[in-house]
Amino acid sequence: MSEYFNNIFYGVKSFLTGMKLTLSHFKNKKELVATLQYPHEKWPVPERNIGFDHAEYNLIRSRLHVDIDDCIACMQCEKACPVDCIKIDSIKPPKDSDFDCGMTSNDTQKKMIVSRFTIDMSECMYCNLCVFPCPEECIYMVGGPNASKHEIDYEFSQYERDGMIFEFADATDEQIKEAGGEKWIEQRDAKINKHEEGIKLEGEVKIAVPPPVTTPVKADESKPVSKTAVKDSGTGELEIKSFNSISDKMCRGIAKKTFTAAKRAGKDQTAMLSDIAQALSDMGKMTDEIQTILDGLPAPVAEHVTEPEIEQKEPESIPVAAESPTIFEMDLKDLNGIEDKMARGIAKKAFIAAKRAGEDKVEAVKNALEDAGKLDTASEALLSSFTAAYSDSENLDPKVESAGDEKPESGEQSQDLPLFDIKDLNSIDEKMARGMAKKIYTAGKRAEKSRSEVIRDIKAGLSDAGKLDSAIEELLNRLETGS
Amino acid sequence: MTSIFDSLQITFSGLNLDLMIVLPAIALMGGTVIFLLMAVNALVAVYFERKVSAFMQDRLGPMEVGILGFKGGKRFWGGIGQTLADAIKLLVKEDILPNDADRVLMILAPFIIFTGAFLTFIGLPFAENLVISDFNIGVFYIVAMSSVGVIGIILAGWSSNNKWSLYGAMRAAAQIISYEIPIGLSLLLVVLVAGSLNFGDIVQWQADNRWFIFHSPFSFLAFFIFFISIVAETNRTPFDIPEAESELVAGWMTEYSGFRWALFFLSEYANMLIVSIVASTVFLGGWLSPLQMFNVLPEAWLFLDGPTLGLFWVFLKAIILIFVMMWFRWTFPRLRVDQLMYLCWKVFIPFGLANLFFISLWELLF
Repeated sequence: MSEYFNNIFYGVKSFLTGMKLTLSHFKNKKELVATLQYPHEKWPVPERNIGFDHAEYNLIRSRLHVDIDDCIACMQCEKACPVDCIKIDSIKPPKDSDFDCGMTSNDTQKKMIVSRFTIDMSECMYCNLCVFPCPEECIYMVGGPNASKHEIDYEFSQYERDGMIFEFADATDEQIKEAGGEKWIEQRDAKINKHEEGIKLEGEVKIAVPPPVTTPVKADESKPVSKTAVKDSGTGELEIKSFNSISDKMCRGIAKKTFTAAKRAGKDQTAMLSDIAQALSDMGKMTDEIQTILDGLPAPVAEHVTEPEIEQKEPESIPVAAESPTIFEMDLKDLNGIEDKMARGIAKKAFIAAKRAGEDKVEAVKNALEDAGKLDTASEALLSSFTAAYSDSENLDPKVESAGDEKPESGEQSQDLPLFDIKDLNSIDEKMARGMAKKIYTAGKRAEKSRSEVIRDIKAGLSDAGKLDSAIEELLNRLETGS
Repeated sequence: MTSIFDSLQITFSGLNLDLMIVLPAIALMGGTVIFLLMAVNALVAVYFERKVSAFMQDRLGPMEVGILGFKGGKRFWGGIGQTLADAIKLLVKEDILPNDADRVLMILAPFIIFTGAFLTFIGLPFAENLVISDFNIGVFYIVAMSSVGVIGIILAGWSSNNKWSLYGAMRAAAQIISYEIPIGLSLLLVVLVAGSLNFGDIVQWQADNRWFIFHSPFSFLAFFIFFISIVAETNRTPFDIPEAESELVAGWMTEYSGFRWALFFLSEYANMLIVSIVASTVFLGGWLSPLQMFNVLPEAWLFLDGPTLGLFWVFLKAIILIFVMMWFRWTFPRLRVDQLMYLCWKVFIPFGLANLFFISLWELLF
């Protein structure tokens, strides 16, 4: 019984002791608060090194910074980076230009301008290896021993991953152009456009190449036919799945690889298939079975699509369609031939809109440019080279004839086309031939030759060297016609 | 004591309206007031609790969210918009019903608990003449109504089809039903001495004599038994065995989310307010000023008892009691189930019975 009361007494006592303790904390709140209101208050950054006493190594793992005015684009840091988080693009002004790239703070004359210097801090592992090779000492970790150059920054968290990519280059587009970097800007813009287009079209457009249909009217007519084609071959258009019917594992792999490469290069179906056939026969894997499979793949589509055209138009149009169904299919890239930046932007926008709505792209682009008052003769000519194929029959006749005739003539016809990109030559398989073609291309470009002239030069040069085979010839022909 | 219900009825009677229209209208008005009171109480009490707990643990509590750009004090009273933001978040949250749950009961349960808390407010005096309906069995009504909640708790635990919920509900039922006995025994002392179940009469008795807590040593003890028991009744730490985060996730509330969970929350904080107001009314003089706790000061001081200040005194006392409940929460660890039952059946009930016996003697002798 006494234990019972003792327990109660002890309980009440400890109860009061505990209450007293918490109340003392409640009352003394101001002195005892341990919370640091982080974004508003910060602890002082400690002076620290990486563990051993050496001035050189007294670094702080903060953020990489580049004094871009001192950068001579020697690429030493890019090479040193073990995780490849540094990307540098530079533009060297041509020798005859008097473009001044400026001086570094060490009085070194810079020989090129840096058009891009990005560091992806989400990849950076803070190893500091990029810092030592820099001859101008312009890349360094901020804070710590470098605090005099740049204040400490250890909290660069972002809401999106892109925010971790730091761009240090400050060359304006005008400067880059002045230094001869139009090409670089074009490539960059193309990349950005492609990215934006991808975001816009995400989920709306299949990855597979759309069937070669030029106008909506035609699309409607050819639809039922191509549907039967789908039934015949299993796939209406060429897809990577189409090659699953090849039984041999090796061959299938090769075919798929070549297909992907060709698709990246933007080739059309026939070219892809010829590429694949070429690749397979190079490997000595070409069998009758595969040949029949490959033959079976594009044939139904191509034939069925072209048939309604034959019925609809004059028989002269057969060669055009048969040669390459996509010959006058306008591509977004083709609009790069428009010189004026504004006009190009407008045209591309209109093109994408029309593509989505399934309208006549050329017509839409033309209207958009006209509305903006940007339609000059050059772009009109460019556009008309696409319209020609399917505008009116009286317009059509001469063109069709010329297309059906010898190549040089069709070259003249496509003289208005802008010079193609040097990358298009990458699809030449053989290294030697590719190099030669590229050299001739560059020479031709310098001399401001037209597209057909350049192609003629390349053909001549290659055939002189005995390197002109059927694949290259076909490629060049396609380039000439602008597809 | 005139209740709000009566005075409103008198006011409307001048309009010669049908009683069938007047009565629902008055009930609706009273209900709206109660609901607003519950909602505001939950908002304020949660903020208060978070701040109290933070200070007792040497933290700062919510500091970032303000109302319309006003964040409150820079150092210690910041974040006054936090509970408002939390309430909005709760209302827009997804309302999840588990697949195998008993859907009807699970939807019904929070409303039963809410109804229990809501009905209790009807008989609760906030000040002299400030009670929705003045029952002459007010104390009994409140004890009865606050027991309705336990049905909701058992339904919630059962219908969730979750072992934690069921454990929580079983514990809650055992605990709440057990602790109603010491609560009843303590209130019985007051009823025995004041000779009435009406809150107005009880407070009037305290005005005539002294605060009931100071009436006798037994009533002093009875207050503490009552207060600790109501902490257990409202499932607050150290008696939060039914919810026991570390054992049962959230006890009978485990499967609830969104609006229905908000109802539980609302009822919980409403219950805290109810029991605090009952304790302050019955033992601490209700709407009487603290200066008159022994009823020894001259009459001139009585102006502080006036009807205008009554509401202030009731709420001041209630808030102090709520603070003490929060203080408990951040001081004591949770009791074991057997300790909880020991405390109730072996300490509080014998002491309560002895109290009742001795106070009867006390009343006979003095």
